[in-house]
Formats: sequence, C-alpha cells, structure tokens
Amino acid sequence: MIGEKKLFSKLEKVLARSKADETEIIYFGDMNCLTRFANSYIHQNISVKNSLIYFRVVKDKRVGVASTNSIRELDLKQTLENALEIARQQPEKPDFPGLPKPQKYKTVLTFDEYTASFTPKQRAMKVKQIIRKSSEKNFTLAGAFSSGFGEIAVVNSHGLKAYQPVTFASTNMVVMSDDSSGYASDTSRNVADLDFDNMANRAIEKCFRSQNPIEIKPGKYEVILEPAAVAEILEWLNYIGLGSKPFQQQMSFLSGKIGKKITSGKISIYDDGYKLNGVPFPFDFEGVPKKKVMFIDKGVANGVVYDSVAAAKDKTKSTGHAVTPNYAHEGASGLNIYMAPGKKSLKNMIADVKKGILVTRFHYINGFIDTRNSVLTGMTRDGTFLVEDGEIKNGIKNLRFTDSMMSAFKTTQSLSKETGRVSSWWSALGCMTVPAVHLKKFNFSGKTDF
Amino acid sequence: MQDKLSELIQYLKSRNVDYADCRFERKESESTSVTDSKVDSAFRQINMGVGIRVIANGAWGFAASASLRPTELIKTANRAIQIAKASAITKKESLRFANQEVFKDYYKSPCKIDPFTVSSDEKINQMVKICDILKDSPKVKSSEASMTFYKMKKMFYSTEGAEIVQDIVESGADCSVVAYDGKEAQKRSFPNSLGGNYGTAGYEFVKGIDFVGNAERIREEAVQLLNAEPCPDTETTIIVCGPQMALQVHESCGHPIELDRVLGTEISLAGGSFMTIDKFKKLKYGSDIVNITADATIPMALGSFGYDDEGVKAQRTPIIKKGKFVGYLTSRETAPIINQRSNGTMRADGWNNIPLIRMTNINLEPGSWELDDLIADTKNGIFFDINKSWSIDDKRLNFQFGVEAAWEIKNGKLGKMYKNALYTGITPEFWNSCDAICNKKHWKVWGIPNCGKGEPMQTAHVAHGTAPTRFRNIKVGVSK
Repeated sequence: MIGEKKLFSKLEKVLARSKADETEIIYFGDMNCLTRFANSYIHQNISVKNSLIYFRVVKDKRVGVASTNSIRELDLKQTLENALEIARQQPEKPDFPGLPKPQKYKTVLTFDEYTASFTPKQRAMKVKQIIRKSSEKNFTLAGAFSSGFGEIAVVNSHGLKAYQPVTFASTNMVVMSDDSSGYASDTSRNVADLDFDNMANRAIEKCFRSQNPIEIKPGKYEVILEPAAVAEILEWLNYIGLGSKPFQQQMSFLSGKIGKKITSGKISIYDDGYKLNGVPFPFDFEGVPKKKVMFIDKGVANGVVYDSVAAAKDKTKSTGHAVTPNYAHEGASGLNIYMAPGKKSLKNMIADVKKGILVTRFHYINGFIDTRNSVLTGMTRDGTFLVEDGEIKNGIKNLRFTDSMMSAFKTTQSLSKETGRVSSWWSALGCMTVPAVHLKKFNFSGKTDF
Repeated sequence: MQDKLSELIQYLKSRNVDYADCRFERKESESTSVTDSKVDSAFRQINMGVGIRVIANGAWGFAASASLRPTELIKTANRAIQIAKASAITKKESLRFANQEVFKDYYKSPCKIDPFTVSSDEKINQMVKICDILKDSPKVKSSEASMTFYKMKKMFYSTEGAEIVQDIVESGADCSVVAYDGKEAQKRSFPNSLGGNYGTAGYEFVKGIDFVGNAERIREEAVQLLNAEPCPDTETTIIVCGPQMALQVHESCGHPIELDRVLGTEISLAGGSFMTIDKFKKLKYGSDIVNITADATIPMALGSFGYDDEGVKAQRTPIIKKGKFVGYLTSRETAPIINQRSNGTMRADGWNNIPLIRMTNINLEPGSWELDDLIADTKNGIFFDINKSWSIDDKRLNFQFGVEAAWEIKNGKLGKMYKNALYTGITPEFWNSCDAICNKKHWKVWGIPNCGKGEPMQTAHVAHGTAPTRFRNIKVGVSK
C-alpha cells in the first residue's frame, strides 16, 4: 500500500507536468493472493503484486488513453507523453463532455486490517479444515480461496481527488462424490465473514442428497433458483442490458421499455455502491460517486447506468459507473448489483412447491441469443434437485435451460428473505447480492448425461 | 533483464528449492475502436513484470511482481517459496515433473509490418471507411470497427538451465453492424464475431482481411434479419461454416482434451471433461473422416509460438485420428500420468499468472468436398453462419450454439434466411454424425483472442483451422 497522501502527491506531481487541456490519472494497485484446491489438496497457490495506472488526456478536443503498470516516476511521465501523442493523432471528439469536476464522497468502510494481513499459511489451514470435513464423508473437494488488498485513486486536472483502500476475500467450493456434487460460496470485504464450516456443511449436504441422480424430461417446470443461480443470471442480464451501450444500441431488453411493466411486481433489481451487506465501493473510474440506480423497480423498467460520455449522449448525468478507460468503449457497467429480497425463508419457499426443480448453480450461461428478449441459456450443476410436495426428493441429472428471463420473472411466486453474496470477476470492486427466487414457469430445453 | 533473471535463478538454487522458473514478460498493446465513423477509444498499454514459479517441499508456489528492482525480485522469490511451503500443508504426495530437453534459444514470430509503426491515421481512416459503408442504411442503428495489436517480449529461465527469449507480435481486427426497425435489433459481424480474426503476425494480417469487400454484404444481411423467420424447431442436416466450426472445435474438443481439466484441477469453475483417462485411445469420438490435431507450429496462426511457458518446444500432436481419441494437451506435471512427455501447451496470460494447459491451434483437418458440391448434395437442411451464442455443460457434453444468421437448404440450394438460429447436441453423438468436410481450399485458421480459463480468469490466444462441415440429424431452433 502506498497510502492516500503519498499516492496523491505522486500522481499530482505527474499531473502538474501535463501539457494537455484536461488530464485524468487512475491508479489501481493490489496484492491478490489466491489458493486453489482440487482432488482435496492445494494445487495452485499464487500471490501477485501489481498496479495499473491509466492516463486519459484531452488536447484540442482530442482524447488519448495510455496505461502502464510501473509506478516509477520516469515511466509515469513517459505514459503521460504516450497518452498525449495518441490524442494528437486522433480526430476531434466534439461530443466529449469534459472530465468530471471535483466531487464529494460519502465515507464507506472497505478495508479490514485482518484481511490485508492474511497469510498463505492461514489460507492453507482454512482449506485443510474443509478438506478434512469433506474427507470424513469420503467426498473430494475443489475450489478456491482468495484474499487481498489494494487501493484505488482517481485524480484529474479539475481538482477531482478520490481515494479508497480495499480488502477482499472470496471462496467457492465444490464437494464431489462419484455421481453427485454440491456447491457453496461467499465473498466479503472481511475474511472473518467467510464461514468455512457452514459453507462446507451446505456443500456436503448437497453432494450427499444429490447422489444416485434420476433423469427427468426437459420441459417447463416450477423452479427455485438459489442465490448463486440468480447471480449468474443477473451477471448476464447486467452485461446484455443494464449498461449504457446495449441500451443505446437498442440491443437491451430495457430499450424502449422504460416505464413499462416487464416482470412481476415482486422483482426489483438495482445497483448500489454504498450498501454494506454486499461488497461496497463508492466511486467509479472517473471519480464520480456511485448513485443508486434502479434497473427494474417493482417490475417496471426504470433505467440503466451511465458514465459521463454515455450520459452526455442521452442528455443525462453520469450515475458513477464508468469502467477503466481501456474498456470505456463497452460503456458503463454496474458492479454492486442487488435483487431486493422477499419475506419467506428458503425452506418455506420449497414447501410451497408441488412439483418442481431446485437449482443450486448454473454453468456457462450465455445471453447473446436474443438480447432484446433477454433469452439466456445455460446448464445446471453442483446440486440440482426434484422437489415434490414441498420436499426435496432426489438429485436429478443436469438440465439445459433456454428462456426469456423477463418472461420467467413475470411468473415470480416469492423471493427469500435470506440473500447470498456472489463474487464475479470484479470481486475487488463489488459483487451480486441476491435472494433465492421461486418461479412458476422456467423452460428446460435439454439434458445431459450426468 | 536476462542478467537479473540469471541472478534470480542462482538465488533460488541457493535456497535449495526442488525446481524454479522465472518468467519476464513485457507486453505492449494498442487498441482503437471506431463507432459510427467516430473514434470511440484509442488506448495503448505497457505491462511488464516477473513471475516466479517454485516447487518446494514437493508443492507449488507462485509469486509475481511488477517491480523489477533486484531487492523486490528477491522478496518475490521468497514469497513464492513461502507459498509453496504453505501449499505442502495439504499435499498427498510430492508432485512429479516430467523430464524435458533443456533449451537455450531465441524465437521470433513472423511479422512483415510492425503494427506499432503504422500511423494512427492509416488505421483510423480504414476503420472510418468500413463504418461509412456499414452505416449507409436508414435501418442501421450502429456500426463499429476495431483493431488491436500486441507486441510481447518473453524470457524464460529455469533452475534446469533453460534460457529462452521470444519476440511475438499479434494483430487482429473486426467490424459489426446493428440494424433496428423499432421492434427488432439484429447484428452481423465480419470476419468473425467475438473480436474478429487474429493472427500471430504484423499489420499485414489486418490488411489481408477484405473488410471493404464485405461491409455492404453484412449490412444488408443485418437489415434482412429484421424480417427473417425464426429458425424452425426440428431435427435436420446442418452445414456449419468455418468460423462457427472453429468455436465448435474449441468448446467440444479443445477444452475437453486439456489434461489438467480431465484430472479435475479446473472443476470448481470451468468444469471437468467427459474425455477421461479410461477413454484414452478407446473412445470413438467422431466419424472416420474426423481428424483433429493440435499444432502450435502453423505460421501466423494465433495459437503458434516457439516455446510454451515451461520451456517446451512448440509441437504438432494428433488428437483425433479417423474418429478415435488418441491425444491430450499436456504439461510437464500432467504428462507422466499418461506415461508421456509434455507436448508443450502450458501458457500463462502474462507475467502475473501461472501457466495452465491451453489450446494451441486445434484444427479439424480438411476433407475433400467443394462447398458448392456439399450444399448441392444436401436435400434439406440449414446452413449456420458465424457465432452469436455458446454454452456447454461442465463435462463438455451437452452444447448449444447460436449464430448470427442461418439459411434454409432446400433441394441442394440455399434458400430463405433464419434469425436467432440455434443448434444443440451431445459431443460424441454430434461428431459421429459428421459425414462431410470441405477441402483445403475452404480451410482457414481462425484466431480466437479471448479463451477464458483458470482462477483468477486468464485469457489465452488460440486458433482453430476449420472448413465448412456437415452433420446429420441435429436438433435445431430450440430457443424456447
């Protein structure tokens, strides 16, 4: 960690040398440690210290972006020059709205000393603990446990200054027998929040109960999607429909539908960088504070997230969801996504099902089939069960679903009061925080052999 | 830098590790995208550092740092040793590492025109020209073109004495168009979706793609798709075009033959494989005309290199021979399990990641058919063009692919266009239904720059040589 004062001083020194009309510097440095295990032993174990520094400059309405991973002053100066050189070679961008002005930030705690100091040995001992639990049942264990820390800063030539230190910890585990498996996961800013025993127990129980799976025919079924399954669906819906680019291209399932009811009134989906029961982060990669954005509010399409460039195009304001400049052409993206919970316990939701399927998790979802109709496909895995008369009866062989998610969400019966935090590739910056969802109709279009 | 790596190897030897390698990588990348004839983003990045992989107490440790200061490199080496010792807490047995010929060598990929010396003006003008054609219709909502280039310097040193330096240049480009009529939106891409086509070559690779000659066609096809019928739900004969075949090979053959995946080391995220060791040299994977090879030596192909990130020389290996499963992609750690030596497929996504078994160029070898003859020989069926969606189960059996556009085949001729077309199958059933593959004239290597695997996720650059291929009795149009 360089620290707020030293980092600002270092970046502002480079900023002062810039000959551009406007200059922005983003710093993202971290130490990411990850322990992977499979076949009940640790097979990969890494620790990576890196930093990425992005320069965005505007000169005579021309924009250039360059980046380096070296924090040496000489390399920073050279990268600034590279950004200027790129800008000089570009045509003018008359639509560029200018870099954001100084902002005010609410305080949010995103750093935990204990997590920052977590050692490889401590990670290995946690893994050993859950290996022992699964081995006691003659099951094998695979998964990953990561922890780390970092700091993110944004400064620009208008005087904007944003800084946030972060820690992160995530784990996922798959417990396996010869013909079944079970899954559990969690993520937090604080490693002490991860309850390894509880997760291992849940994964072991799923593995145990899904042994000797029976085959059922594909078709439309009542389903309960557990939080990991819901999060995987939301991750794709976010990608194909909740950001500015697909919305503006008319490729989003929200395009042309703002103000219209598109799901059951029980469904609300939103992004909130300040909410503490997820993995909070307060500003975006332009230094703009994150606003709470309702994507779907009680079933009604409400809006998408914006960065400053996309916002200018739609004559609105940035919602604080800019990504790093190298991905800016992909548009803004939500990183702290929530689905509002319901009032029932998962147990009571299962009790409501006469005949249906309980899905723990999906594999390899893809949402490009028909984005305007939010058609997704994917496979179930690691704990798929037949529910009859309100009870889990059998494990079943995995199924492929292909369905319009907005149509499926129209049949929402209930949502669980319990929520799960599910990490994604942006785990340092946020996660999905979602309940289990009970749908009356969900289309399974195919099956597999296990 | 080579001196620093030599000193680092000496230090690691002095710490009595079982094995260590140090990998320096400097990667320069440039990406420019143009939307509706305006520059959307122009970005250049330099990223470098050293990754140190250690076996100590019979287990792996890896640490990496962007700082190249000698004191920081020593700290990083110590961290790798500390991590390996932590890994050993759960070890069942010490890991085996296959013997390997030790190389001291230099490799340079083919590159006629260094893309980093070509002016931005030239690149942008070309992309604007493409967008101008793509957007020339009132039905077009957006048009995009992009170019991306990489230049890598890689150095690999090991305690066994390996000293390998490689210079690799990669180039790629794509364009796409979205048509919209107030209700429907449809997209077409060229020369491939998912980022376009890439090669291990210089700017000449991008110049060789006929964007201008194809832009009008894909624009008109995107507009036609707005009024196209949905693909019918049926079982029929399908012909899959080259770029979609590339993804078919990638998902249903390339991934399941990765021996680390087969052995369960990727199971929690990317999944396992149905091509388990008990099926090795026994499974009838496909029909007799199906021959698939892993070949990292094809000039200009995106999955080509001189040496992998364990210092093993690039090779050509049979995978499927006359339909029979005969080969895996292996590493020095996994190869001994099937009594082989590594076939050189361990690659890392940069200095800051550990190498994993990755596809190289996994190719469906050409058959004997002319494309026109193949279509004429097909009484009823559907022709599937380039990819739009992809999904496969965690053992690589049940797959479903969607394409941007498909065409009816009726009495040996292409007929009406279908939108949102899908086909689905079970991998060995599908490949055993293959009855025709087009010849060398129609065979092309498709570079895929975004193959994901591992945790944290690593992106590999791989490729697949394919030609249009026919399959019988395939389920299609299963969108709802």
